[in-house]
Amino acid sequence: MSWFSRLTNALNPGRLDKELADEMADHVKRRAAAFEEAGVDREEAERKARARFGNTMRLREESRENRLWAGLEGTLQDVRYAWRGMHKGPAFAATAVLSLALAIGANTAIYSIVDAAILRPLPVFKPDRLFTLSWPDISDPGTPAGEERDTFSYPEFLQFAAVTKPAARLALFSSPNQVEAQGPDANAPAEKIDRAFVSGEAFDLLGVRPAVGRLFSAEEDRIPGRALAVLSYDYWQRRFEGDPAIVGRDLRIGGSAYEIIGVARKGFWGVEPGRFVDVWLPGTLYERQALSDSGWHWFRILGRFAPDTSPEQIQARLQPSFHNFQVESVKQFATMPAVIRKQFLQSAIRVHSAAAGVSNFRKTFSRPLWIVFGVGAGILLIACANVASLLLARSTARATEMAMRVSLGAARMRLVRQMLTESLMLSLIAGGLGWLLARTAAPALANLLSTESDPVRLALAIDTRVLFFCIAVSTASAVLFGLVPAWQASNAQPMLSLRASGRQAGKLRLGKVFVSVQVACAFCLVLVGAAFLFSLGNLLRVNPGFDARNVAVLGISTKQADKSDDPQALSDSQRAQQARLLHLMFELRSRVTNQAGVQAAAVAWWPIFEGGGWSEQVIVPGKGPSEQEEIFYRISPGYFAALKTPLLAGRDFEATDNGAHELAPAIVNEAFARKYFNGLNVLGREFSYHFRRGLAREQIVGVAADAHYYDLRGKADPMVYLPLEGSADFTLYIRSALNLGSLARLVDRESKAVGPETRVREVTTLETIVGNTLLREKLLAGVGGAFAFFGLLLAAIGLFGLLSYSVGRRTKELGIRAALGAQRGEIVSLVLKDVSGLMGGGLIIGLAAALASMTLFRSLLFGIQRVDPVVIGTAIALFLATGLFAACLPAHRAATVDPVSALREE
Amino acid sequence: MAKPNSAQTALDLLVLTVLDRRGPLHGYGIATAIEDLSEEALRVEEGSLYPALHRMEELGWITAEWKVSETKRRARFYRVTNAGRKQLVSESARWASFSAGVSRVLRHA
Repeated sequence: MSWFSRLTNALNPGRLDKELADEMADHVKRRAAAFEEAGVDREEAERKARARFGNTMRLREESRENRLWAGLEGTLQDVRYAWRGMHKGPAFAATAVLSLALAIGANTAIYSIVDAAILRPLPVFKPDRLFTLSWPDISDPGTPAGEERDTFSYPEFLQFAAVTKPAARLALFSSPNQVEAQGPDANAPAEKIDRAFVSGEAFDLLGVRPAVGRLFSAEEDRIPGRALAVLSYDYWQRRFEGDPAIVGRDLRIGGSAYEIIGVARKGFWGVEPGRFVDVWLPGTLYERQALSDSGWHWFRILGRFAPDTSPEQIQARLQPSFHNFQVESVKQFATMPAVIRKQFLQSAIRVHSAAAGVSNFRKTFSRPLWIVFGVGAGILLIACANVASLLLARSTARATEMAMRVSLGAARMRLVRQMLTESLMLSLIAGGLGWLLARTAAPALANLLSTESDPVRLALAIDTRVLFFCIAVSTASAVLFGLVPAWQASNAQPMLSLRASGRQAGKLRLGKVFVSVQVACAFCLVLVGAAFLFSLGNLLRVNPGFDARNVAVLGISTKQADKSDDPQALSDSQRAQQARLLHLMFELRSRVTNQAGVQAAAVAWWPIFEGGGWSEQVIVPGKGPSEQEEIFYRISPGYFAALKTPLLAGRDFEATDNGAHELAPAIVNEAFARKYFNGLNVLGREFSYHFRRGLAREQIVGVAADAHYYDLRGKADPMVYLPLEGSADFTLYIRSALNLGSLARLVDRESKAVGPETRVREVTTLETIVGNTLLREKLLAGVGGAFAFFGLLLAAIGLFGLLSYSVGRRTKELGIRAALGAQRGEIVSLVLKDVSGLMGGGLIIGLAAALASMTLFRSLLFGIQRVDPVVIGTAIALFLATGLFAACLPAHRAATVDPVSALREE
Repeated sequence: MAKPNSAQTALDLLVLTVLDRRGPLHGYGIATAIEDLSEEALRVEEGSLYPALHRMEELGWITAEWKVSETKRRARFYRVTNAGRKQLVSESARWASFSAGVSRVLRHA
């Protein structure tokens, strides 16, 4: 009977009873009818039929037992048998469970991250009907196209929303960013939160309802917007203890007050996996220029298809107005190179599913995560092959037992079932352990991807999806490692096996297959791991052009007067404000520089390596604007000293450089000098760039050594350093051997002295900031390296097991050889020949697989060739060392076989 | 499950043989067939056929399904499986040697 019907029988015994009763009653009726036909009267016939049938109740009970319990009892027997088997070989059980637990745990942890970041649909109403818009990257000539652009301007959003109606509804979302917020209470602490801007219908479009109060509506799309805020459930609970009275009170963000009108329902954290939004503000409160300028691409657009609308229909509706915007934007850039202009005019808008949300995090990490996932699968395969060969070795030990059982009449399926029960038990125990492992490993792994300035928070709920995955992986691996050995063992040929000979050759061959699989997978992992480790090493060895050690980086904020909405025009009061801010920045710098223990200090608008930047086309006299924009960076005097970037010629900035000069001084780096002036002899040369509706003219007063600005990859970009201008938020670099805490206190004290509302916003080190640009590489190198090591270990265990077994089996042969005068060296070389045979095939397959997969993630590697001799050489050397190590003991045993005792043994 | 004794083994053998020769039958049909074939020499309590059928079903030797019978009544029809056929071959060989042994003893003792 099938398992299913047995289960329904067990769950619904009434039905079974009725079935049995029906069947038996049918029999009695037929017998009675037969008697009647033979001439017995009806009553007598029925009595006789019943008597002939026997005790119905007892028979029914007996049948019931047969049909209900037999199967379950068999299963229990299997479990008991498996349990006894595990007790008999605790070392085997422990090895198997442990290696499987590690592999299953690693896979589950990685899956939970992949699921949270990439796969899981947004927790909103019908997420599969959501879409997002993007357009292809515009790339500089000669460089490969980058990732799609998915941000649009506010005017574009308004027009898109108008043309797609009623086939779709659109809403606008800004990417969350960190701001400081304070609760309504007077002494509430300022804390960093994630803030996002959304259009009025955003919540309604997603189907998100309020937990208390109300959410935004179309009313909030009117300009000028009211200062309102919606809190996330999580933030409301965390900061305000879920107090419903918070509605109607003010949240202070960056000096302005926003009235809290409601809290979004539990479990909604925004549309960007990896980021949890704490507060939503109306999009109309975004910087005013962004609302009217179609050049400000700051917003993502999410839409919901109306019923029966296809993505193609939406695309067709959007394309004409998208094209118009592109035409307009091309007009604005008179100096745009023709190649780029063409790209703009030909680009088409794209409509993608947004079921799983939109995410910067996903853009950066999806490929590395899939690679890590693949590596995890490799480990699982190795662990399975390992346990399979262990099982196989053990089934050899049990061959006699199996043969006995077969000859006593056990069915083959029954034996297979029994052994599979054992595998399943092993893998489920391992799955349980792996589950515990994953619960601690997943958050730790997610933390690897998170930095202070870009915190990643994933909804790592260890939920049913992940649990299901874990169980599926455990079961699949049980079948993977259990089936072949079980089949093999149940195939015992009583006569041969009891005579202790023959068939073992087949087992050894199968064992060799398993070991080859292990070697191939492990070698592939080692190669990949080595490639990532070497790649990280290459990046760490790059000379960044500065010395990041002992440099503290502090974010400072001071009181901010009204920010200019229009950077193209500066009013007098703003000019005065800027001068005040600049003075404050210099004052703070000189106070800090004079402290004991501080070697140098400098101020800039924002730190390098954090992604912030400003770039302009460069105009060299006599030529048009450059095709590429170059990096511009404003710094105070002392910057080069603080970062230890050598000045190759000319001078550093001075405090007097910061006036309004007709010809402003500039410092350029070597790459800039070579690119635009064909040499380093550039002091006194001039160039200009478009600035505030005119041209700003610069004269080169110094040449600095090349230094990286955004990241460590590639060559250092050409750069222009300009004198500092005033800003309410700025960065202070300090070179000092003092520890970070005392530096922070010191700067905090000095900040309060230069201005009452000036304070330290954040504290970190340059090493940390640079390190944060290597997160992907560190993740891949860390996980890749660890898994490579683990794979190597498992492969060594597998090799060792198989060699020990084969030496054990050949004791007699080796004894004869020794007796006939074979030298130890010859016998050892016999074993080594075995090893090389085992490893050779695996290595070749592994190498081919690794090289094939390498092309998939070549762009994630740095300084590694497609077929990199150093990486491959290292991997092979590591592997050979491991193989030799695993062969040591078996070879020694083989060499010391005593001919006399070996021959007497059998 | 208890070990089948030799009486059970004999009954199994009979049931399997009948089903193998005659094709699908319900319980009553099996009982009458055994009676007819053995010329009423083997007349057991008819009801004890059913636990045996259900046990064999559990072992996978036979399968069963509810069907409408020749008299338009609903009945549970049994059919022998491949495993059952194998069992039949080995069991009947064993039975033959057993009964031959027994009759030898009866003859020569």
